Amino acid sequence: LSDGRYVPVAALGAAIALGALAIGKNPVWLDTATVIAIYGLLALSVGLSYGQAGILSVAQASFASLGAYATAILSARYGWSPYATLPVSVLLPALVAYPLAVVVTRLQPLALAIATLVFGQALDLGLRQGGELTGGYIGISGIPPVSIAPTPFAYNLMCWGVVLLVVVLYSNLLHSPYGRALRTIRTDALRATADGVNVAHLRSATLALSAGMAGTAGWLYAHQISYVGPDSLTTSLSLSVLLMGVVGGVRTLLGPLLGAAVVTLMFKFLPYQEMQGMFFGAGLIAVLLLAPNGLLGLQWGRMKAAA
Amino acid sequence: LQVAEFIVYGLLLGVTYGLLAIPISLLFVATGTVDVAVGSYAVLAGMLVAVIGGPLGIVAAVGSAVLVASIVGGLSVKLNRQGNDHLSLVLASFALATFLESFALTVFGKDPFIRRSFTQFWSVMGVNVNPQAAINIGVGTAFVAGTYLLLYRTSWGRDMRASAVSMQAAQLAGIAVRKVQFSTALLSGLFAGIAGVLILYTSGVDYAAGMHLTLSSFGAAILFGLQGPLRGFLGGLAIGVIEALGAGYLNSSLANLLPMCFIFVMLATGRMSRETVVGGRA
Repeated sequence: LSDGRYVPVAALGAAIALGALAIGKNPVWLDTATVIAIYGLLALSVGLSYGQAGILSVAQASFASLGAYATAILSARYGWSPYATLPVSVLLPALVAYPLAVVVTRLQPLALAIATLVFGQALDLGLRQGGELTGGYIGISGIPPVSIAPTPFAYNLMCWGVVLLVVVLYSNLLHSPYGRALRTIRTDALRATADGVNVAHLRSATLALSAGMAGTAGWLYAHQISYVGPDSLTTSLSLSVLLMGVVGGVRTLLGPLLGAAVVTLMFKFLPYQEMQGMFFGAGLIAVLLLAPNGLLGLQWGRMKAAA
Repeated sequence: LQVAEFIVYGLLLGVTYGLLAIPISLLFVATGTVDVAVGSYAVLAGMLVAVIGGPLGIVAAVGSAVLVASIVGGLSVKLNRQGNDHLSLVLASFALATFLESFALTVFGKDPFIRRSFTQFWSVMGVNVNPQAAINIGVGTAFVAGTYLLLYRTSWGRDMRASAVSMQAAQLAGIAVRKVQFSTALLSGLFAGIAGVLILYTSGVDYAAGMHLTLSSFGAAILFGLQGPLRGFLGGLAIGVIEALGAGYLNSSLANLLPMCFIFVMLATGRMSRETVVGGRA
């Protein structure tokens, strides 16, 4: 415990407790808080893949979609309990992501980025044309609620509990030899190879882990809304979670969560649905130019010294 | 004969992919990054022509495509200076593509735009051929020829090829590498603008077509290798024919999926590597 790895975890725990007290049972804010938790989980998955391993995945929402559809089909169509579908929602995206990455990642990260783009578009088409199985354009409704969290208040707490758990595991991972190997890969893959790191495997495993996180977010999403469709978790959401990650700082532990909160609250009041992409796109470009390390990645001290 | 008609339609479509593949390969070779917003420039251009119409529309369309592409050009110079990796630019161009898609949806609406300049089809040996094919292929070959002249007969082309082989060496030799990269981005806007106009008269555009165009053209660019504009152009024709045949004999969604599977296989076989293009450690 001496290496300070649990300081961010404690900070997050305190923030969640404070937030829960402040919101109480206000339905609008509970809903917003749950959305932030789900987007935050997706943004954390961006932090893991893009921030730690240097893999740009523009398909995080598609991985979430995979998890959401998995639980939707199994629980709404075949009557599985939501607890039984959770492992499927987590594992399925991971099992898709690993071979995707392992085939492509021998090359450059750039090729992998394109491959995730292809995957996202292909999945989108597949879901729309999935007929009976995916419900086509209509999607699947009537996804059962989770029995341990029947009220919005409990559901919100459960979502944040999952986030807290993921952050603990994520923090442990960063402090493990794997985390250090990942950082070496991000800086110089050749050097990592020379150190005896199996670069292709570790990169792919990281993308798989990140896809599993996204799948978990998809599971939470599906059981909150009780509906998924091809327009629920789209490519434009992939972009917004990338924005959240970059705004907060992809390389920091809690940055993506902060980014998710900031971006969600800012765009909660956006007037037109169609214009969302414009704001997200312009916002991301602005952040890349002005603060590429994000809010938590800013070197506040140095800025003060410069001023 | 039906096969021949599908093939002709595929070529018609393929010219536009080929035109988009050229800037993708040029930009990749020159800067090591991929601009995933290229298809969105074409969509923007096509929609502007549809709305404004006439020669003025074409000028406005191509002009705005170049203008938007200059954003990526500027970003590429800025991000490279900050010492960022190439992924930041992919991310930025992805952001721009989303921006343009949402812009097109807000301004031009959800309906697809398509224009037909010919109602009568030519009959060549019993095969119906849209006269638009002549225009597309004419414009396409003219631009491939133009690219060759630009690359191998002008000092700009020499500078560009030098920067592609080694950015540092080119810089040491006194070549303004950043300028070359920026003008390559402008060039990609020009190509995308022209392609967008042709697409409007061939298969039509809608607000969401940008990403599909980018991916198909990207597949075209890597199909025969990134070594020269002609390969990209031929790759475009091939992808167009594959798509048209797929749409003819399978169902349409499968036809859209086909080029993606194709691209994935290309990526997996390691086609996308600068080292094979420029040699050595790029």
